[in-house]
Amino acid sequence: MTARDIILEAHGLKLHFTTAKPLFGKAKIIRAVDGVDLRIRRGETLAIVGESGCGKSTLARLLVRLFSPTEGSVTYDGQNIANKSEHDMRALRRDLQFIFQDPFSSLNPQMSVGALIEEPLRVHRIGTPAERRTKVAHLLSRVGLSPQIADRYPHEFSGGQRQRIGIARALASGPKVLIGDEPVSALDVSIQAQVVNILEDLKEEFGLTLVIIAHDLAVVRHMADRVAVMYLGEIVELASVDALFNAPRHPYTAALIAAIPVPHIGARVATAKLQGDPPNPIDLPTGCRFYPRCPHATDLCRSERPILTNSDHQVACHFADDLNLAGLSDNATARSPAAAARFDLYREARARKDKEAAT
Amino acid sequence: MNTPLLDVRGLSIRIAGTPRDLVEDVSFTLSAGETLCVVGESGCGKSLTALALMGLLASPPLKVTGGTATLDGQDLLTLPRDQLQSLRGRRMAMIFQEPMTSLNPALRIGDQIAETVQRHQGVSAKEARARALEMLKRVRIPAPESRLDAYPHNLSGGMRQRVMIAMGLANDPALLLADEPTTALDVTIQAQILDLMRSLQSESGSAMILITHDLGVVAEMADKVAVMYAGRIVEMGPAAQIFEDPQHPYTIGLMSSMPALGERTERLVTIPGVVPQANHMPAGCRFAERCPFADATCMKTPPMQDVSTNHHVACWHAPLEAQTEVRASA
Repeated sequence: MTARDIILEAHGLKLHFTTAKPLFGKAKIIRAVDGVDLRIRRGETLAIVGESGCGKSTLARLLVRLFSPTEGSVTYDGQNIANKSEHDMRALRRDLQFIFQDPFSSLNPQMSVGALIEEPLRVHRIGTPAERRTKVAHLLSRVGLSPQIADRYPHEFSGGQRQRIGIARALASGPKVLIGDEPVSALDVSIQAQVVNILEDLKEEFGLTLVIIAHDLAVVRHMADRVAVMYLGEIVELASVDALFNAPRHPYTAALIAAIPVPHIGARVATAKLQGDPPNPIDLPTGCRFYPRCPHATDLCRSERPILTNSDHQVACHFADDLNLAGLSDNATARSPAAAARFDLYREARARKDKEAAT
Repeated sequence: MNTPLLDVRGLSIRIAGTPRDLVEDVSFTLSAGETLCVVGESGCGKSLTALALMGLLASPPLKVTGGTATLDGQDLLTLPRDQLQSLRGRRMAMIFQEPMTSLNPALRIGDQIAETVQRHQGVSAKEARARALEMLKRVRIPAPESRLDAYPHNLSGGMRQRVMIAMGLANDPALLLADEPTTALDVTIQAQILDLMRSLQSESGSAMILITHDLGVVAEMADKVAVMYAGRIVEMGPAAQIFEDPQHPYTIGLMSSMPALGERTERLVTIPGVVPQANHMPAGCRFAERCPFADATCMKTPPMQDVSTNHHVACWHAPLEAQTEVRASA
């Protein structure tokens, strides 16, 4: 693979936070992201998954310099953005945009929808006011909203509509990379499906590279080309979506997959392979960070930290070659014939309605 | 079959001053040991239904406008306050979604569990504390002795939810209502909690109403499923039938909106539009404006019809195959 295929690259990326110093003793260090190497390919959808507190949101923010790293580099377009000045970063932000999880707190309530979407255009001095208005109308219709709502305010909209406004705003400057921090997790199932479809359409239309932070593995399975699994600030496995779900190589990935409840009767029951909570990133275990919760841990895991392999299916586990881990089984997804027939009926009826609406 | 533990008939709830009911004509029964999952999106009335049963509706403005809900032969909806209070926490208990906001942050968790035991069983403080310890053991909290004196902020989200469950089950209720008990939790912790709820239920034989939007959770936990849309039950039946023979267009749409874990589909087949607002509930079938099968018949409210003995659906067009045949021949 040539360097041209890599759009964004993180190398040895670390971000450590320091807690407030207590009255006695030393301040503690939180290793939110602790040595991440990641190469994001042009045009792909990369998902980053993991439990709360694993550092996935922090990593996403580091990739677009919403945080400055303690150590390491982030290379975009041949430039290291990790230590650029705020002023120099501004021009680059045109290319790197972010969608936030909470559509309620991420839109300024005092700005109209039109002004919110226009703001990135104004900041980057794109177009004349009239051109910008046309662009805003176009963006609104692209995310499935009526251009007439440009004069209204965020509080008038539901969560799903606000998330579309957030997406339109992120797209306004014509970005190359779009990073979404749980972009659909706050939404209801039917609305979530609409937004997932919109993101996929827009990715195609604008030639975007998508980085999706998510904890819903079904959404990840549907959207991603490759998946990175994070645990306590490190990537423990990174592979293509099929390889990862069908044949996981890290015990943590296998446990995550086993815990997904499958929406079919008679499918396997979700199993709690992991006991206990994720340890916090202040008191990190020595050796492999996963060993206290790992069913396969040995003395080696306690003492020596495994390194992420450099191959197609990257994994950081001493025993990745020896373990035979279960992925998703086929019966987890089989639908009954009667249900499948109804799904087809529904799909046809939807298509017919859409056609009628279009004519 | 003997008489059910809980018998809800025609439950309706309305905001005072609005023309249509928020929850309309909800009926179901539940026997001991059974789990009913209520599925639906925000605003479908699933939480309101549970709150009404617990007598916890914010009233005013919310008001029960009709129906009965019988537990142990007593109608929960008309019971005087003091009698309801002696039922709540003893015969029925509720677990909320947000374990942080539903625990008292200023009280030690041992005291919070002991409080409900003392209130309902009239035992000494010492016995109540012993019961609290026993409950913490039952919900498998590690080092329970030391956790008795912990405050909620000392615990993780999963541990707090375990405390909520311990508190709910402290008096061995016959009916447990759980409103999205695992939604705020990580998938690994969710698996632990569901596992725990399953085993506690089989030990105690209590009935459970589990409110959720996650069809995966439903498939794992439910004996019966009620699918709600905009305040009405649109389809109800044994879990296997709902998944293997879904009848209502909303049930089917909801299922096809969920990304499948298996083969990667091209595009999700969605439900267009949004759920109706509380003050703009449509007349007739409430799903009609989003339904691809809707026609003029849907201006009238569809009655519940039987698909089989236990499987019911409220749709003029069910079964959908018959409908498309007519269309094809026309």
